[in-house]
Amino acid sequence: MESNPLQNSDEARSELAVADQARQRLAAGLRLPTSLLPALAAAVTIQVGTAAYGIAAQTVAGLAVALAGVAVFLGTAAITLHQFRRMNGVRVDGLGSQILLGTGTIATSAYVGALGVATWAAFESHSWLVAAAAVIGGVGYAFATLRWWHAYRRDPAAHAGGASPQVLAALAVLACVGLVALVVAG
Amino acid sequence: MPELDPLIHAPARLQVVTTLSAVSEAEFATLRAALEVSDSVLSKHISALADAGYVRSRKGVQAGRRTTWIALTSTGRKALREHVAALRQLIDVVD
Repeated sequence: MESNPLQNSDEARSELAVADQARQRLAAGLRLPTSLLPALAAAVTIQVGTAAYGIAAQTVAGLAVALAGVAVFLGTAAITLHQFRRMNGVRVDGLGSQILLGTGTIATSAYVGALGVATWAAFESHSWLVAAAAVIGGVGYAFATLRWWHAYRRDPAAHAGGASPQVLAALAVLACVGLVALVVAG
Repeated sequence: MPELDPLIHAPARLQVVTTLSAVSEAEFATLRAALEVSDSVLSKHISALADAGYVRSRKGVQAGRRTTWIALTSTGRKALREHVAALRQLIDVVD
């Protein structure tokens, strides 16, 4: 017996709607740890400030300060991502990429702009400007993460993907090695 | 032209793979809560999907207790994409 195409269409529509509802139910139930955004803003502020100081200082002590800043940032990112996973019972690589790599125009602009201004200010010995640029960079980075989170909640499937934890760890190691090479070569 | 995938044509299986597409990996209990099904029903669907290579599961520890984490594979993601495209085509034909 041939099935009624209209009935099939209604069934298809209903199947898709129910499946989408289940996906939205999962995404709607996810929560960011309350400390994530302030901690991220603070960590990026510290990282930008210490990197600017380290680059301008061109000394072993400066390198140590810059690396300490990277360690603070990576440690904060690892802790907050672990909290997110423990709280929600899910891992979202898109969030990891957003936090660690600053994917997206706003995060990249905030970070690169802040680092550029802070480094120039450090060379010119304008400590207040280093601090101001680092804070603006940190807040901008956290704001970009919040924007990403809203986008993810609207369309989770489109934003769930990102670099895997293994790739992120490898990139973190590369970043540290690169920073050391940069300062040593300088 | 995309075709319906018999393995995920059942509404419950389609819900499992669609829900998993929202995350990189989900704990069994989280997935069960989102789908509002029993342990045994979800286990059955996960086994069938894992046999076909659409999902993979691994044992882990969450808050000090042993859990199972489930993720959609690239094969499962592709199958979901094609199945949804086939369903949308079916809807478009009638509309």
